[in-house]
Amino acid sequence: MSRFYGNPKKNGDRRAPRCDGVSRRDLLRFGSLTALGLGLTDRFRLQSLADEPRRIRAKSCILLWLDGGPSHLEMFDLKPEAPAEVRGPFQPIETNVPGIRISELLPETAKVTDRLAIIRSMTSPLGEHGLANQYLLTGYQPSPVIEYPSYGSVLSHLRGGKPVLPPYVAIPEARSAGAGFLGSRNEPFVTGGDPSRADFRVRDLDFFPEVDETRLARRHEYLAAFDHVQANFEAQALASDSEFDRAYRLVTSPEAKGAFDLSQEPADVRARYGSRMFGQSCLLARRLVERGVPFVSVHNSGWDTHENLVLQLKLGYSGAKNGVGLIPTFDLGFSALVRDLADRGLLDETLVVAMGEFGRTPKLNTRGGRDHWPRVFSVVLAGGGVRGGQVIGSSDRVGESPRDNPVTPNDLARTIYSLLGVDADVELRTADGRPVPVNQGGKVIRELIG
Amino acid sequence: MSSIWLCAIALLCASPQESLDFDTQIIPVLTKSGCNAGACHGAAAGRGGLRFSLLGANPDSDYEAIVQALEGRRVNLAKPETSLLYRKPTGQLEHGGDIVFEDDEAGAELLLTWLRAGAPRGPSRKLTELKITPERQLCHVPGKPIQLRAAARFDDQPAQDVTDWTVFTPIDPTAIQIDDNHVARVLRRGQHRIVARFLNQVIPIQISVPFSDQSLELTHEPRANFIDDEVLQVLGELQLPVSPPATDTAWLRRISLDLTGRLPEPSLVDSFQADESVDKRSRTVDSLLASDAFNDYWTLRFAKLLRMHSLPNEPESFTAYAAWLRNGISEGTGFDKLARELLTATGDTHLVGAANFGRMVGDPRAHAELVGSVFMGVQLGCANCHNHPLDKWTQDDFHGLAAVFAKLERGRNVQISARGSVTNLRTGEPAKPRIPATRDLSDEGDHREAVFEWLVSSEKNYFARATVNRLWRAMFGRGLVEPTDDLRDTNLATHPELLERLAEDFVNHGFDVRHTLRLIALSHTYARSEAIAGNELDDRFYSHVIRRPLEPEVLVDAISDVTGVAESFPGQNSVRAVNMIDPAAPAPVLERLGRCQRANGCPENMEAEDGGLPAQLYLLNGDIINRKLTDPAGRLRQLIDHQTDNESIVDEFFVRGLGRHPTTEELNGWLDRLKTENAEERRKRLEDFVWSLLNSRHFRENR
Repeated sequence: MSRFYGNPKKNGDRRAPRCDGVSRRDLLRFGSLTALGLGLTDRFRLQSLADEPRRIRAKSCILLWLDGGPSHLEMFDLKPEAPAEVRGPFQPIETNVPGIRISELLPETAKVTDRLAIIRSMTSPLGEHGLANQYLLTGYQPSPVIEYPSYGSVLSHLRGGKPVLPPYVAIPEARSAGAGFLGSRNEPFVTGGDPSRADFRVRDLDFFPEVDETRLARRHEYLAAFDHVQANFEAQALASDSEFDRAYRLVTSPEAKGAFDLSQEPADVRARYGSRMFGQSCLLARRLVERGVPFVSVHNSGWDTHENLVLQLKLGYSGAKNGVGLIPTFDLGFSALVRDLADRGLLDETLVVAMGEFGRTPKLNTRGGRDHWPRVFSVVLAGGGVRGGQVIGSSDRVGESPRDNPVTPNDLARTIYSLLGVDADVELRTADGRPVPVNQGGKVIRELIG
Repeated sequence: MSSIWLCAIALLCASPQESLDFDTQIIPVLTKSGCNAGACHGAAAGRGGLRFSLLGANPDSDYEAIVQALEGRRVNLAKPETSLLYRKPTGQLEHGGDIVFEDDEAGAELLLTWLRAGAPRGPSRKLTELKITPERQLCHVPGKPIQLRAAARFDDQPAQDVTDWTVFTPIDPTAIQIDDNHVARVLRRGQHRIVARFLNQVIPIQISVPFSDQSLELTHEPRANFIDDEVLQVLGELQLPVSPPATDTAWLRRISLDLTGRLPEPSLVDSFQADESVDKRSRTVDSLLASDAFNDYWTLRFAKLLRMHSLPNEPESFTAYAAWLRNGISEGTGFDKLARELLTATGDTHLVGAANFGRMVGDPRAHAELVGSVFMGVQLGCANCHNHPLDKWTQDDFHGLAAVFAKLERGRNVQISARGSVTNLRTGEPAKPRIPATRDLSDEGDHREAVFEWLVSSEKNYFARATVNRLWRAMFGRGLVEPTDDLRDTNLATHPELLERLAEDFVNHGFDVRHTLRLIALSHTYARSEAIAGNELDDRFYSHVIRRPLEPEVLVDAISDVTGVAESFPGQNSVRAVNMIDPAAPAPVLERLGRCQRANGCPENMEAEDGGLPAQLYLLNGDIINRKLTDPAGRLRQLIDHQTDNESIVDEFFVRGLGRHPTTEELNGWLDRLKTENAEERRKRLEDFVWSLLNSRHFRENR
């Protein structure tokens, strides 16, 4: 019951917030501002400024989503001392941070470990893909009555404005990471396609054959002829940012469209990320955050490795000489992304998160694979104000349970929002008026923040 | 042990002349301070180890949590002011929820008095009546102070003033401010709501301020039926001027889209305009209601409402279900009869279409929720985990209704089995079958018929009100109650009397959907034109037409019709999108425009389904429009190939797309824009003209 009694104040001179996230003083101040006609967005902005205990570094976030549940025991939390049925087929190697060892399948990641924070004590009760996806991607355990919004949708909703590039881009698909009750306007912009293919194009960004820029400009002008035959008071409605305006801004901005054009990258840069879909998706994500997109997710499927770890995680296909399985592919793309962001001075303002919905069973199953295991797993973060070169928490001897410092997906959510400068106590509203804070009850992982 | 000690103390300390009652005096303190709100200790999991029932719905468990849980650690009856219950919210001890009683010394005082009295449960009085004043008020100018009051009667004793312990919440805090003395001030013109809550009672207050200072004479406005009477009554109160009647062509396009999901044919546009008889609108409505297009379109609308979708590997059951629905609609079967079949049908679902109703959801609770949503227009699901915070539905009601459907076997052969129950989440016991808010039923037998009887006969008329409200929404783009699945006493209709009269009229006319649609279609309210100066701020009182985007199915068909190039749907015979009843059947065009997948229910605002940015890009650069403009067999190419002049082409597309001929000014504008000597350039400009028309708001909206 220690939580019930002692709850040290977070900040000496500020009162802890009320449950609804607004201190009484804020309420008073907000009340007077409303009278002056400031809208809801302003309220969010003001609050997030007021609640900011430190300088916010992260402007953007790249989420590398390893769909299916990546094995902590084969990647970031190896147990070389454990019995063979736990240990698995791979050995740990040293990294550029003394004392931190990770999988031999992650040699490139080992060279940038000084920039990574590895959480080895993630824990969740949900071991079914659908439910666990929801929990990890929203910070909320799924509810039958509310569909919670995922990270990118919350950012898209709170940032507002009239950006040329969509505020939440999913490469190449989004799956369960949707806008939930925040509605279609905050759904991710899904690129589709395969960024590693030479003919990769985002659908409908390119002009239809024979419809060049001149004609599109003329169509815009003709359209105005139809729509402007309207009374004056409607000008206001037209001034609001319609979906059409957003689409038109995007397709008529060569710079914005160019963000999706990987052929503009030098061959050596493309090669560094690895030639496969995951790597090229990471490169595309970098191009997007470089141009100010606040949230980009990269979906990487196949991590539900119930059998043959060596084939799936290392080789990729049987008889492969150089492994092109899930982990080597991840290693190339992830390490290249971290390095590239650092080289460009973007790492400090870009939070990179690599995770899946849970870990894998400590004991190998009879098919040489591992099954679902949410009780303990690992998540890796870099950049965006994260202090690198550290391991947070640990699992027990066989990677079965957290040994210390357990971190829930809910805690992780509050931490991610906090790094991104979002006041996690801000209330969102469902369509039926239910107030739902961005995050409820999570604790910021203090050690993570440098 | 501790409870004996507690009783002893309580006996010693309780002052004989004044006995405080936990249920009716302490719980309101907790509610007023937000302690038992969903964001605090009222959350399903509680907060910081302390859990209250949401908004004090369950005094037994709340009393337990405060006085008995943790060996009574939260209260110290020997030294009441050191009780955690007192020290935390008053800021003497760190409290995750801040200082709660900063501005509410009375609340803190009452809490302390109660603790000093030995934290008694008290007589557990029951609230028998709550009266709020005013309930409805019309002010002439914004800013005028309005004193809100609440009076309560407990166990039918004389009323007491409970204003200080009542929570008054404005629905829109930017429209109404309420100060600490419960004085409300309206900040802007319009009709606004406050919800007053005391214990388990919630009462809505409506305060209106006219939109202008100019008084308005609406008594001479023409009226076709009671719809116009009711709507003009409210417009008069709010001093909103009405827009003049829409032109014949605007009305014809509107009614065609609303009743059939189609644009009017050019021949109809011309004959309707030429027709000078007084009953031409009425005849047009009748012919639209009798058309096959009506049956197609309203089958789709009802399919969405019923969340119809095919089940894996069972196309036969969907086919039977869709055929049953379409048949019911074309036959004009009363909606009560359709509802009865949906609620009670059993048998082989490949033959008995209506028996599929309960198969669209997976379990009894979802079944109960679907019944609530479709047939009552209420959100019973809120009562899954807690009593509905804004309505009378309790957990017992919800789980009891679910229990009625618990014995239903949902395989191919739908039937009532001997077994099956649901757990009442409040008690942890199997729920007793129950008619919501009415009576318990026996554990045995099939009670679905009883649920149906209650639905169509209940005093509250839920079934009829929910249905007419949806029909109204289909015709106006807004329900009298919004959203249409949230009918409750605290979510007032914009026109409560009108909703009642429509529901009554619907019942009196055999629950005939066509009858109500006809009534609406022929009202002057339905026939208003666009907003004029003075009513442009009105978005719900029907002083002018409300513009609505076409839903994806209607838009796709309209594009096909105007361009003269039909769509094709893989594996389907029909070329019309409104016939794509099964959302699981592939229809790439609809998917790219954001078709609702329906299994989890569609947004009530059916027109607002939109695919967001990707859908817009598709219309902009994709092939849905562009391909049809250059199709050699398409309308534009054919007209060009037949040496048609620009004037005729512009006219043709105006009539087909916008349902009217261009004005001289518009025509001249387009002839100027299209003028060129180069045939290739002319073709491109004509394509750009049609493209712009199809992307214009005018085309993509029903207005």
